[in-house]
Parts: sequence; C-alpha cells; structure tokens
Amino acid sequence: MSKRQLAMVMDLNKCIGCQTCTVACKTQWTNRNGREYMYWNNVETYPGTGYPKNWMELGGGFDAAGDLQPGVIPNLEADYGVPWDYNYDALQGGASFEPNVEPTWGPNWDEDEGAGAFPQDNYFFYLPRICNHCTNPGCLSACPRDAIFKREQDGVVLVDLDRCQGYRYCIAGCPYKKIYFNPKISKSEKCILCFPRVEQGLPPACAQQCVGRIRFVGFLDDEESQVYKLVHKYKVALGLRSDYGTQPNVYYVPPTESPVKFDADGKIIPDSGRLPIEELEKLFGPEVHGAIKTLKDEMKKRKETGESELMDILIAYQHSDMFRLDNNYYQQVARENGQNPLAPVDTRYAAGKYTKAGHEMNFFHGGHGHTAGGHH
Amino acid sequence: MKKLVNTLVTASVIATAVAASSVITAVKVNANLDKVSYNYDVWENAKMTEVTLYPQTTIKFNDKEANNINQDAKAITAEIGALYNGSKIAFIVKWADGTKNITTGNCIDRYADGFAMQFASDASNPKQLPYIGMGSDGRPVVVHLQKEAFGTYEPNGYGNVAHQVNPNQTDLFGKDLANFNKKVKALATNDYERSFVAEGFRSTTEIKDGSNTSYARIGYVGKGWEGTLSRPLKDAYVDLNAAVIPVALAIWDGGKLGRNGLKYLTGWTAVKLEGKTGSEELLASLTEKSKGDAAKGKEAAMNNGCTGCHQMEAQDAENLMGPGLKNIGGYATADYLRESLVAPSAVVVPGYNRNAHSSFPWYNLEDGKRVSTMPGFDYLEQSDIEDIVAYLQTLKAEVK
Repeated sequence: MSKRQLAMVMDLNKCIGCQTCTVACKTQWTNRNGREYMYWNNVETYPGTGYPKNWMELGGGFDAAGDLQPGVIPNLEADYGVPWDYNYDALQGGASFEPNVEPTWGPNWDEDEGAGAFPQDNYFFYLPRICNHCTNPGCLSACPRDAIFKREQDGVVLVDLDRCQGYRYCIAGCPYKKIYFNPKISKSEKCILCFPRVEQGLPPACAQQCVGRIRFVGFLDDEESQVYKLVHKYKVALGLRSDYGTQPNVYYVPPTESPVKFDADGKIIPDSGRLPIEELEKLFGPEVHGAIKTLKDEMKKRKETGESELMDILIAYQHSDMFRLDNNYYQQVARENGQNPLAPVDTRYAAGKYTKAGHEMNFFHGGHGHTAGGHH
Repeated sequence: MKKLVNTLVTASVIATAVAASSVITAVKVNANLDKVSYNYDVWENAKMTEVTLYPQTTIKFNDKEANNINQDAKAITAEIGALYNGSKIAFIVKWADGTKNITTGNCIDRYADGFAMQFASDASNPKQLPYIGMGSDGRPVVVHLQKEAFGTYEPNGYGNVAHQVNPNQTDLFGKDLANFNKKVKALATNDYERSFVAEGFRSTTEIKDGSNTSYARIGYVGKGWEGTLSRPLKDAYVDLNAAVIPVALAIWDGGKLGRNGLKYLTGWTAVKLEGKTGSEELLASLTEKSKGDAAKGKEAAMNNGCTGCHQMEAQDAENLMGPGLKNIGGYATADYLRESLVAPSAVVVPGYNRNAHSSFPWYNLEDGKRVSTMPGFDYLEQSDIEDIVAYLQTLKAEVK
C-alpha cells in the first residue's frame, strides 16, 4: 500500500455521456505511437457490452482467498476494434465515402441501447471508466517482471517501460481490462492519472474537461477533500466491482434517479423506477442500498431545510470545489527526492492536507485570499 | 518415389550427423566469430548435438488461453553446435517449428518465436549452480535473447519527439507525409536482440549500458528456425575460459502463445571446449544420473509428504503451494535436487509472485531474504535422499 492515495469520485447522476473526457484523454495521451486503439478513459452505456467487449467476463482479479485469477487477453479486432478513418481527401476526386479499415468493433458500438423494451421500461446510464489505480492491482500481481509499480507518494499505478517486456499477463490479470498492449513499442501502457498534470496543480484531463462536473479528485487521507467526504464520511461513493478484490480507488456515486415506467396503455406507473437495483448491486455491491438511502435523505433534507453539505459537494458550484491536489505535498516529495520542484502552473486546486498558508493566493482571483477547494 | 528416397536420405544424414550425447562440443576454429549468422560457412566445422527442451511447468501464469493450449505440452528437441576461437564463442541452434510467428506492429495477440541462451556468472561450484530459471538470489546469470520481430518503435530517450505524434495531427500531406512516415519507420528497431542479467525471473534486467557485445541472429529456414549467438569468452558478466561450461537453452513457440516463462528449456548442459582440460567435477555433475532407486524414491516422496505441496507427476492435481515438479527431471541436475531437498531456502524458485497467490505462501521474507516454507529434509537417510533424487530425475514429459 502506498503512503497516500489519490482518488477520483464520479457522480453517475450527472454524467451525460458526452465523451468529452474520452476525447480529452485521447488527445492528451493515446492518439499516437501505437496507442490509437486504446481508451484509457472511456464512457460506456450500462447495461451494454462495454469496452473492451464484455470486459466483466474476461477474468482477472482475485478470488475470496486472495489468489489471482486467470484471465483472457482481448482481441484487437473483435473486442477493442481497430480505429478507422475516412477518405476525406479522396472525396474531392469523386471517390465514394469509405472507411480505411472495415469497422468490426469499437467502443460504444452499442451506445445508448441499454436494456428493457422501448418505450415502456427501457433504461441505461453512462459508466465512465479509467484505471482504478487499485490498492491491490491485478496487473501488478500478474507481472512476472516487477515492471508495474504503485507510486509511494500517491498510489498511482504505473508501468516501468524500461522493465516491461510485453508479456501481457497484466492484461489478463486486470479485471477491468484497463491496461493495454502497445504493439508498436511491444510494451503495456495504461492510464497514468495524468500524474504530470496533477504534480503541476492541474486535475487529470478527463476531470478538468468534464462538462457535467461529475469528477472529484483528491487524496483519501485528506479529511477536507471532497473524495474523503464522499467515500468515507457520507459513504455515497462506491468502488466498481469491488468483488474482484483489487480495492479500486475510483469511486462512483450510483445513479439514484430513473424515469418511471409506462403500462401497456402508455400510462405512467406511479412510483415505478426503470433502473433495477440488482444492476446497481452487481456493479457496486450491497452497500449501494445505504448509499442511495443517504443520497435520498440528504436530498430531502436539502429540500426541507436548505442545508446539506453532501448536496453542496455534489452540485459543485465551482469547478475548483471538485479538486484538492495538494501541490505543496508534491513539491515536498520532489525536494525529498533531490529534484527541482517546478512551480504549479495552476494554483486554483493547489490546496490540500499538506499545503500550508501562503499557497492560497492565486493569480486567477486577483489575490483575494481565495482558498482553493474551499466553499464560496 | 524419388521424393521418398530423398526424405529417407535426409533422415539418415541427420541421424548420423547429430550426436546423441548430452555433452555439446565446442570446436576450436581460427575463423573470426565476432558477428556470425546462421547462414555462414563457418558452421560447417560445428558438431551438432541433440538436446531436449522441456516445457516450463514450475510456475503457472495467469493467461487462461495459453494455459489451455499448453496444458499437456510435450518436450521438444533442438540441435546445437558450438565454435570458439581465442576470444569468442559462438553457438548455432536449430529447431523445428511448423509455424513462423513474429510480432507485428499492429497486432496485440501475437507472440514471437525465439530462443535464449543462459550462462552462469559463477560455475566454480557445480553443486551450487544458479537456478535454471534465470538464476537465483546471489547466483546471477546472463541471458542472451533473440526473437524475430517486426519493427519496434521505442521513441523514449532518443530525443526524436517530433516523430512521436500521430501523422494525422501533423500539417504534412503528400510527399512530406510520406517522408515523415519513412523517418518514423527508420527509427524503429527490427532486431529484437536483448541481453539480460538476472538473479531470478522477476529480477531480469536488460543490459543497456553498452557493456554487452554479444551478437545474435535468427532466421526461418525450411520448416524451422536457425539462431546463432556469438559472445566474448570473457566479459564483465561471465568468464567462459574453461574446459567445460554450463549452458542452458530456452525456446519460445509464439504459436502456443509462448513468452517469458511459457517456454521450453534445457537443464544446465555441458559444453566441452575442445583442446582444454580440467572441469571434471563440473562435467560429472552436469551429466550425473543418480544411482538411487527411483521406485523406492517415489514411495519415499509420498511418505515424506512431497505431494502435499508439489505436483509431482503429470496426472497429479496441480498444486499452487509449491513449484510444479512434473518436468523437474528435464531441467534440474542431481546436485540441484539434493540441495533443494536438504536446504530448500538455498534457492527459492524465483518468479513466483507472492502477491498473486497470497494464500499459498511459498516463502516468507526474513531480513529481505526469501525463506522457503518447505522444511529442510536434511534428517533423511542418505539413501532415501538418493532414491528421491533418482525419482525426481525421472519426472519429465516425453518428446513430442
């Protein structure tokens, strides 16, 4: 276990499936050098096949006794899909509009299909996924080369490309299939939680660009952080498929709202909900009942009294309310390692457990003593 | 009919040309061995010896598909020859492989065929050679690997950042774009030759500081592979100036999803450098067949609880508790087996990831040293130990 753990919370009630996070990640990291097919961040429709196809059935993770389970390495054409492009340039010459490779599969092949019968009781919600930066990573346990490590300072799980020899056991070992093989460099690569950005005071690209403001980022041991409050104080944010035993550090606020069902005559069935609780139980475990109850209770409390810290956090009035990146801590770590800590390029989210006074001022607010990550 | 005759003639030629001895002879030559490849004439001088390689079944990995394919893997054979001159030693390895598997830059489920040769850093004590699977704590080995591979583009560290972008994101088109792609291709390495130092699977570290001067080639010829390795007799890692040196060979079959520990390997095999004298003790150890009674040994293994933790024979249930032994006779020397019985912590099979199987602790870490969960059987009668060693030497898959 690392000394500290950086974590992300995603509020599924607010995700609109716009894929801005997907694109932010892709343009930042995976549109080149053999990473083209990878989506370190993807947003899939649930229920659905997901990305890669049927990832939940591909093995990996640990059994109840704590032993790594064998897994399957997905196929590029069948399970991930080869990215294709169109012959835009040739169109001017009168050519017909054609993809450059025959599309076989891709992320979101089944976007918005969901389950149930339209229009009576069809339903779906969006499930954004990145690497879970697990406390007990399946990929790390599977690696016979010790090429995967968990950073001591923030628990980010990384591949040491110098040690990696491209054996791909990590892909079989990760139950979330969030580590990928790069055929061009013959090594495994994965989400790095944008650590070079985080160290510079910037949230991960997927979180910064999120238009629905669903993503909170902070340290789990920082009691002032939004992630601490959502995960530990209110217990409304839960790990995805915790039954895989990897102790994921990306948490989800389960969807609490779903439309009512229609009867055979197209009339509303009062107090009905389209989203079966069993689906949420499968994803987030039995704790999901308590989480939904807390969310509903707090919503009610807010309606009645106008007060609820939890609702304030989830509404996220300011984007800066969503991140506590503890830049001072990273600077300290850099100094301890004999590196030259660079000044943060963005101080809006620099506050954190180890950030002392003096780091509160920032140029975006004209130096009005704004405390980053605090309330307004 | 003519074809049949030809086949028969070829078969008999191979039968006579390849010695069935377990000792490889390195023939002394005056030729330059600095950079020899498999199609060089110099190999006409080599005496080919057949060696048997057994599937690695000590450690099991977590690739479901690969495990299914290799469940009943049989042993394979290869021919090996060696030459040496005043400063270099060179090896040629030939093995049959009906499918040519190489990795490509656009496919994620392909694994390359290839071979590796392993040398012990210190072979002065034949009773304590490094563990066959990439050495062991305090007993390092150097491994030279050669795989046929498609261009692998490793941009890191070369300062060619401008070529690390997607061509679609450049403002280049037409001829400029073609030139850009050409440059990117030229930056790729087609040769997957690697050299490693290791004290166990997981410690394997590539030699990247330029101190390694080995040269390995590989090519698909007919229905199989021919690979060569030439290396200095003495470098920073090993000194091979001896009458006998222990060498181990590993072969990967990409068609069976082979990579890393999913491989075939020989035990430490003696290479006799023609014209040099000495190393009798090492030669004896490498070729020793225990004089114990294997049938009695099987009984003793049962009585002493070996089967409680180890899979002994192919038909026994797999057991995560201890290293699988169903091919141990194929790649362990009698001396290694004796040592492991009496002092299990001397070599704790590396590669086993404790984190992956936390409920089967093969070993515990005490002061940073791996201490085996297996008790030492040093209290057994010498004859029992010998019988068990003889039994273990019989445990190996048959040749395909």
